[in-house]
Amino acid sequence: MSDFLLNWLINIPGFAAPFALAALGLIITERAGVLNLGAEGFMLVGALAGVGAMLNGSAPLLALGGSVVAGMLLGLLFAVMVASLRINHVISGLALVFFAQALVSFIASAERWNNKAIAGLEPVFLGQDVVIFAVPLLTLAVLWLLNKTRFGLSLRAVGENPGAADAAGIDVTAMRFAAIVIGAGLIGLAGGYLTVAVARIWVDTVVGGRGWIAIALVIFARWHPWRAVLGAVLFGCIEALIPRIAATGADVPRYFLQMTPYLATLGVMIWAALRGSDRWAQPAALGQHHIREERD
Amino acid sequence: MTTFRTFFRLMAASAILAAQGVTAQAEFAAVGNPSPAVILFGQSDDGGWSQSIDEARGTLEEELDLRIPMAEEVPESATAIRPAAELFIERGANIILGSAFGYSDTFKELSEQYPDVVFINPAGTTNGDNLKSVYGRTYESQYLCGMVAGGLTESNKLGFVAANPFGLVNWTVNAYLMGARQVNPDAELTVVFTGAWADPVKERAAAEALIEQGIDVIGQHVDTPTVQIVAAEKGIYGTGHHRDLSEFSEATQCSSIWTWDKFLKPEIEKIAAGEFEPAPYGAFLSIAEGGTDIACCGPAVSEELKAQVMAERDAIINGKHVFAGPLSDRDGTERVAEGEVLGDGDLWGMDWFVDGVSGQ
Repeated sequence: MSDFLLNWLINIPGFAAPFALAALGLIITERAGVLNLGAEGFMLVGALAGVGAMLNGSAPLLALGGSVVAGMLLGLLFAVMVASLRINHVISGLALVFFAQALVSFIASAERWNNKAIAGLEPVFLGQDVVIFAVPLLTLAVLWLLNKTRFGLSLRAVGENPGAADAAGIDVTAMRFAAIVIGAGLIGLAGGYLTVAVARIWVDTVVGGRGWIAIALVIFARWHPWRAVLGAVLFGCIEALIPRIAATGADVPRYFLQMTPYLATLGVMIWAALRGSDRWAQPAALGQHHIREERD
Repeated sequence: MTTFRTFFRLMAASAILAAQGVTAQAEFAAVGNPSPAVILFGQSDDGGWSQSIDEARGTLEEELDLRIPMAEEVPESATAIRPAAELFIERGANIILGSAFGYSDTFKELSEQYPDVVFINPAGTTNGDNLKSVYGRTYESQYLCGMVAGGLTESNKLGFVAANPFGLVNWTVNAYLMGARQVNPDAELTVVFTGAWADPVKERAAAEALIEQGIDVIGQHVDTPTVQIVAAEKGIYGTGHHRDLSEFSEATQCSSIWTWDKFLKPEIEKIAAGEFEPAPYGAFLSIAEGGTDIACCGPAVSEELKAQVMAERDAIINGKHVFAGPLSDRDGTERVAEGEVLGDGDLWGMDWFVDGVSGQ
């Protein structure tokens, strides 16, 4: 039993980290008022870049750097679409996911990266790799960035009231560009972690809807970094628990367990709706464009 | 896409049972010079299901001296399947080969719209005068892989990672343990269902969790070679599905593989000769008919064990049924009476496990 608990606990962070990283990236983006439904796409390009770098002989951490860059590059495209061209956020995000799905399949097939085993990221302490230890630090960094810096204040202002921010001299387009690209880098890292550290293989279904779960997590967390990490750990607990219970041969209510994180998400949404607004509620201008000459 | 696929496999059993009977017409409009085209729902180099069909395409091109065009990653929706099929037909294709349950309905519509074209759909469920769905009796090949697993295990604990619990997956799980017990009566099998056909994250988690429980040979019925790769990392043996997965992992000692070309070559020749035989419930191919087979064996398998496996393969080809009575499930309910074998309908609807299988 103690082995069971130990194996379970050791495996939780690895499952939680991709959700946490993606949720942090989404929070930065959405705090600037950009609704980002493209998480699955950013994760896919990050995941592929990580595998591609590993298969071409790069070290795991360098490969994860490649995932960040790949996420940021796709982020630039998304930023041009929603911040510069002011295309509908929902449509751009969804189109980006489909684009990324086709792009990664195309590249992986052309480069013959499918199904190849890669070495993966080695644990450094307590069975965990460096990225696991970086997640709490990154969470603190995101909190500091959003709450303690002028940049963060401007970013949140753009997300709450772009008109007022503009009047105060903040470049709304530039702020949104920055928020999208930084956020996309983190989401790309989440994807890279999934292939380089967790799955250690590329198939084009590897992200498997985890980007969408991250989007749900952000809503669950009410756009708050710590709560998002907490939610990620909750998902990690379930993902690490289900196969372990099943492997003991016990008859588990698998579908019930799979349901629990979403049940928690729904519960938080209902709780938030009943409680009314708070400081960490949905950014007021989420999904809205700002066009200077137009009145809100 | 995964969702569609899960749905397709879940529906396969009941849909096949419910497939409408068609009046077998002896005379089908002869096709003349065969001109096949292939529509794959996955990537042609996915390492598994889609690649097995694409490899058959290559073999057929060579053996029949044909050029067979292929479209890959065609999703399981009418708006994607129809243009691909119609483009091939416009270019002169008269045999359209599919690759998915999700193509079933669109292929049915197309077959009625194009009566001079023959449609063949692996994993499909619809049939007609010029439409045939095909699947392999994978319990035969997985039974043989189970023998390999039973012979290799030292802990007598076998693991199995599968996608979703329903007929065509459950029969591989049961057959795997029955094969293992053929050579090792003490073998036990624990199965973990991932709930997804191709999620390497979940497959790795399942394999690692099983290895933590002390299994030393692992089988699979999921679409990626992740389980085999984990087996190699942890120093245990594995058996694969879809294709010979020793390509991806040194742990793989036997694989249940698809041999579509063995079925398709004579089928295309029949179509060309105007002798296509419609089948109201499609074709359900045994090793003898060329739907499925094994790639065996890896270096860890002794000559003696290999000979045993090959002898059973011969027995199966000569008519031995894996699910022959008397056979009871793990709750003690009799499933096949003495002297009888499990019917095809009961195979597709299999929702029980034999004694020795743990897990859902």
